[in-house]
Amino acid sequence: MDDVLRVDDLHKSFGKGHQVVHANAGVSMEARAGQVVALLGHNGAGKTTLVNQIVGLMRPDGGEIRVAGVDAVASPAMARRLCSVQAQANVPISGLTPLRAIELVGRIRGGDRRLVRARAASLIEGLALAPWARTKAEKVSGGVARLTAFAMCAVVPGRLVILDEPTNDVDPVRRRLLWTQIRRLADDGAAVLLVTHNVAEAASIIDRLVVLDRGRVIAAGTPAGVVAEHAPGASLEDAYIALVGEAEEAAA
Amino acid sequence: MKESLTLAAPTVTPPVTPPRTANAWTQVGLLMRWQLLRAAQAVPLLVVVQLLLAVATVIGYGFLVGDTAGPAGLYLTTGAPTISLVMIGLVMTPQWVAQSRTEGSLDWMRTLPVARPLFLIADLAVWTMIALPGLVVGLLLGAARFDVTLSLRWWIVPGALLVSLTAASIGYGIANLFAPPVAQILSQVFVFVVMLFSPISFPAQRLPQWAQTLHHWLPFEPMAQIVRGGLAGDVFSVPVRAWLVLAAWCVISVGGAVWALGRRP
Repeated sequence: MDDVLRVDDLHKSFGKGHQVVHANAGVSMEARAGQVVALLGHNGAGKTTLVNQIVGLMRPDGGEIRVAGVDAVASPAMARRLCSVQAQANVPISGLTPLRAIELVGRIRGGDRRLVRARAASLIEGLALAPWARTKAEKVSGGVARLTAFAMCAVVPGRLVILDEPTNDVDPVRRRLLWTQIRRLADDGAAVLLVTHNVAEAASIIDRLVVLDRGRVIAAGTPAGVVAEHAPGASLEDAYIALVGEAEEAAA
Repeated sequence: MKESLTLAAPTVTPPVTPPRTANAWTQVGLLMRWQLLRAAQAVPLLVVVQLLLAVATVIGYGFLVGDTAGPAGLYLTTGAPTISLVMIGLVMTPQWVAQSRTEGSLDWMRTLPVARPLFLIADLAVWTMIALPGLVVGLLLGAARFDVTLSLRWWIVPGALLVSLTAASIGYGIANLFAPPVAQILSQVFVFVVMLFSPISFPAQRLPQWAQTLHHWLPFEPMAQIVRGGLAGDVFSVPVRAWLVLAAWCVISVGGAVWALGRRP
């Protein structure tokens, strides 16, 4: 029972009457310590809605969320202590430098000053951010800002680390470094929930995946298992495209 | 720049379980640093705007009033700090919060393990620091210009904090409950309601009866009475009712702001 994240039959709708959108329509999934679990799906599949409920920014209509055994719906404050989040939108940190922002967030999250400093330096080196570490954030590129946001989330990681599109805007060289850091978070004992469209690259570091479509889980399992079931012999990305295509045909 | 970072940082493994939540006051201090650094470019300008506001509400109002001898000068001098505090809370707060909502930083900040009231306290402390130079200069300027003698009471500081906390909480609530463009417009409306139609820099008797009755229940008149009584205690006494009405507004607005911050749609 080392599930760090356990979601059971989660429901969340927006709007009323004919306009109602079932963003999550009975989602169940889990993530264990030491695992990177990819959460895949088209735009509007319900991924960010799921994330927002886990960290207590939205209240589910029904279902259960447990983070390290804690009822996250009843105790959002406790859930936030157990999770660290990289949001989908870039967090504006103009006025701060990447290094200062990473260290401040680490301290706010309760990290010891020396550990935070060492960990921030380690992340900056690991992500090759040193040339910009002390540059005002308004002067850095979108990719550097994205990597900084990842480091802000990873500096004092929660038991559950949630990354929403961490590779957006990041150049190919640093994307590799980023995947290494994400894998390392899990190897160090966290459960990582990775929301991404970058299926091809993520394939090399994930342990499991969950595919959402129109608020429902349409596939879940190991990459090899999902490939074997939906596109034997093909790549994970091909299997994913086949899967979503099947779901769209079925819905049409 | 580069060389200072060639610290050849060893790979540092983070502890998996995040440590205890940071001490609340440490978190407030860190949030204040975050906000001040983020607003570093704007802070000098904001301080200047507050200074100008203080000058406007003391000297500028003096031109409007004409005869500033006697009580009028005292009203202007002791009303200026209230106007500054209310402006910070009801005008700058909604604009600041609405902007952080629009740019997406507020939602992300809300994912941090920080108790909701601490956001309010940290922001309030930052804004009060921005307002402080204007407050002091306005007072000194008024005292010199109108030859007013102040008689401070011990409770002026907690009284001013009560005013400040209530105004900022109302602003916070507005900024969190209304869509950012609506919050921005509401904050503009407050500018002239507070500056021209609230008995802060002039006696309530000048208002029509219905407005006087309304102000018995709104927070602005009690705010002005408390600050005025704390600054010129020899001339003005504070009715008990002012404390009660403002305390009620404070409880409701702080509760509302904390609720709005923790709200989960």
